Amino acid sequence: MDTARLSPLEPLARAFQRAVPEHPADDGLFGRRSIVWRVNRDRSFPLAGMRSLMVQALHPLAMAGVAQHSNWRQDPFGRLAATSSYLLTTTYGDTVSALAAAAWVRKIHVHVRGTDAVTGLAYSAEDPALLLWVHAGMVDSVVTVAQRYGRPLSSEDADRYVAEMVRFAEIVGVPRDDVPTTVQALRGYIESVGLRQATPAARDAIQTVLDPPEIEEDDMRQLWRDLGQVAVGTLPDWARDMYGFQAPPPELMERESVRQLLGALDLAFEGLPGVLEARQRIELRIRATE
Amino acid sequence: MSAATAAMRQSRISRGAALARLALRIGGRYVARSPKLLFASVEHRAELRHDLAYRSADEVAEELGSMKGVLMKLGQMASYIYDDMPLTFRAAMSRLQHRAAPMTPELAASVIREELGGEPEQLFREWDPLPFAAASIGQVHRAITRDGRAVAVKVQYPGIARSITSDLRNVGLLRRVVGAAFPGLDTRSFVDEVSDRLREEVDYVREAGSQEVFARYYDGHPVIRVPHVVPELSTARVLTSELVSGSSFDDLLTWDQHERDLAAETIHRFVFRSLYRLHAFNGDPHPGNYLFHGDGRVTFLDFGLTKMFTEADLNPLIDAVRCLVFEKDYEAFRAALEQAGFLKPGAPVPTQLVVDRFGQFYGTVLQDAPMTITPAYASAIVRRFFDARGPLAPYSDVPREYVIMQRINLGLYALLGSLNATANWRRIAEEIWPFRNGPPSTPIGEAEARWEATRASTTLEKVIKN
Repeated sequence: MDTARLSPLEPLARAFQRAVPEHPADDGLFGRRSIVWRVNRDRSFPLAGMRSLMVQALHPLAMAGVAQHSNWRQDPFGRLAATSSYLLTTTYGDTVSALAAAAWVRKIHVHVRGTDAVTGLAYSAEDPALLLWVHAGMVDSVVTVAQRYGRPLSSEDADRYVAEMVRFAEIVGVPRDDVPTTVQALRGYIESVGLRQATPAARDAIQTVLDPPEIEEDDMRQLWRDLGQVAVGTLPDWARDMYGFQAPPPELMERESVRQLLGALDLAFEGLPGVLEARQRIELRIRATE
Repeated sequence: MSAATAAMRQSRISRGAALARLALRIGGRYVARSPKLLFASVEHRAELRHDLAYRSADEVAEELGSMKGVLMKLGQMASYIYDDMPLTFRAAMSRLQHRAAPMTPELAASVIREELGGEPEQLFREWDPLPFAAASIGQVHRAITRDGRAVAVKVQYPGIARSITSDLRNVGLLRRVVGAAFPGLDTRSFVDEVSDRLREEVDYVREAGSQEVFARYYDGHPVIRVPHVVPELSTARVLTSELVSGSSFDDLLTWDQHERDLAAETIHRFVFRSLYRLHAFNGDPHPGNYLFHGDGRVTFLDFGLTKMFTEADLNPLIDAVRCLVFEKDYEAFRAALEQAGFLKPGAPVPTQLVVDRFGQFYGTVLQDAPMTITPAYASAIVRRFFDARGPLAPYSDVPREYVIMQRINLGLYALLGSLNATANWRRIAEEIWPFRNGPPSTPIGEAEARWEATRASTTLEKVIKN
């Protein structure tokens, strides 16, 4: 709650404020009636974000691209803010801003290529197969976490979300027809990927996510660790086994107490300049159609 | 005529004029206005965001459940008392508090239906579907009852009582969040205090009972007014009381210093009198809980946190005041503090340190002279309250019986400080302390003495009649 000590959240707040325009030219890629607009601002999103990273890192080539090309270690919360900004701009920004953000990402991806030391395989961030993996890891995490800890999301709406998010994959270069359109198809795809493993780079990165050195204060650290443990608890067994994580105790995973943890985090975030106002802009746009 | 005599005469004249004004009001203090006019005079406050009104219990839960409401309240309290609070945090708290989304008319009506068993339009002759004010866990509608009384109907958000109760059970998380947000604060006593407060606040039946205790006691008082509860239209989640219209604290701040001094005197009298005569303390010195009517007349609202004291609770406090202020017996003062539990017995600290440290809380009554409570004085007092660092810190404590009272004192100082109020607080206190029974020291004091005399005789009459 103390903004001075929660500075890690500040880049996220700035990203959020900028990504939600005050005078959008249009309703962007999804529109105010979309399920994407509803789910992508769910309070459970930080947890979904953590889980996404844990799943995405289990593809050695995706992980190698990040480990070899990203500056995330110098500025993990800045990196997180950039990703979050991209997601929010493509969700709530107008069409021009959304496509410009996607074009920028594709431009950066051109240079992200190399060889993974563990598997010896060459990779490129433009590879639709890698992009699809990253996409699936995120969408599956959002659905899993939202259904468990977010506002009620029916299985029909969850499928609708997955189907609407196809557009999200498409704009960074995944052929439309390759992207799963239901929750079941999405999970089927993830489990069909043969190259899954936890490389040393992945373990190292996830350790940092679970216990970021940026958080110095004891109480805050403990809150963050609890959140990480909940994220671990939402992983599929195979993913947890690859990392060698234990399933957390069931009482830690209980919906009410997790929502309380998320509520505390959400209030801290909402207290930062611009966040409440940006949320209200989204809310008012959605209400205007009803 | 010397200058001094002229000044004396002048002061006697203005005193006489003030007395005359007060006398005019007694009896017809709050000029009986038609309910219709009163209803119309209560304005909708601007801070309510009707465009973002909650449409369902789910939306309320999303915005205020899962710790958010509890932590906002906690932040609000901490912002009164936490010394090192960064400005950004203060700004954040004030932004969050000002968002005040009301319920939609349909949602508010659904609560009325569940609680009172009918549509608001049937239960009341007139019902304003838009609330005129926000309450911490609800909102306030104006209405006219079927028997023609103008009333304020406080309607609680649906589901909020259950979710707050559940959030308060997660003490571990609350303490950790508070610890993260306010390092150095005694998180245990602070969280316990706020938890108690919130648990009580969600029960409007309890609040109605407390409010009525105050309302009856102050009936007919020249400057203090507490609206009566309408019991047949009140339940655990709906609290209906007399509608009062008046000026806000912000308005008061624009009035002249004389008006501000009078208002401050009345607030001071209310707190002292409630504690020492009624043995009750009302715990929310939030500026929004007062309405000002000029000439020192104040209406007190919101009795969500009231504590009744026993003689045993009060006696050590009275002993402490008597020993420190009048008898100057510092060892006895120390013993009284030890008996009340503020200080551990046998603490290895000199008594002079105890007097210096605790004496600060008696600053307004130590001297028999006019004193101005400045904002700086108020914040100095407040700063010492949850001080976990001073030399007495390891040995001092706020016993649970007095936690609420301490809070009110702190809030009160902050309030009087922002009014820059001047008075001979000691003389006023002496009127009220039961062991002094001092003579009236101000025009308000004289009016109060007359009220008390009538009050005593009517009470006696009632006793005789029964």
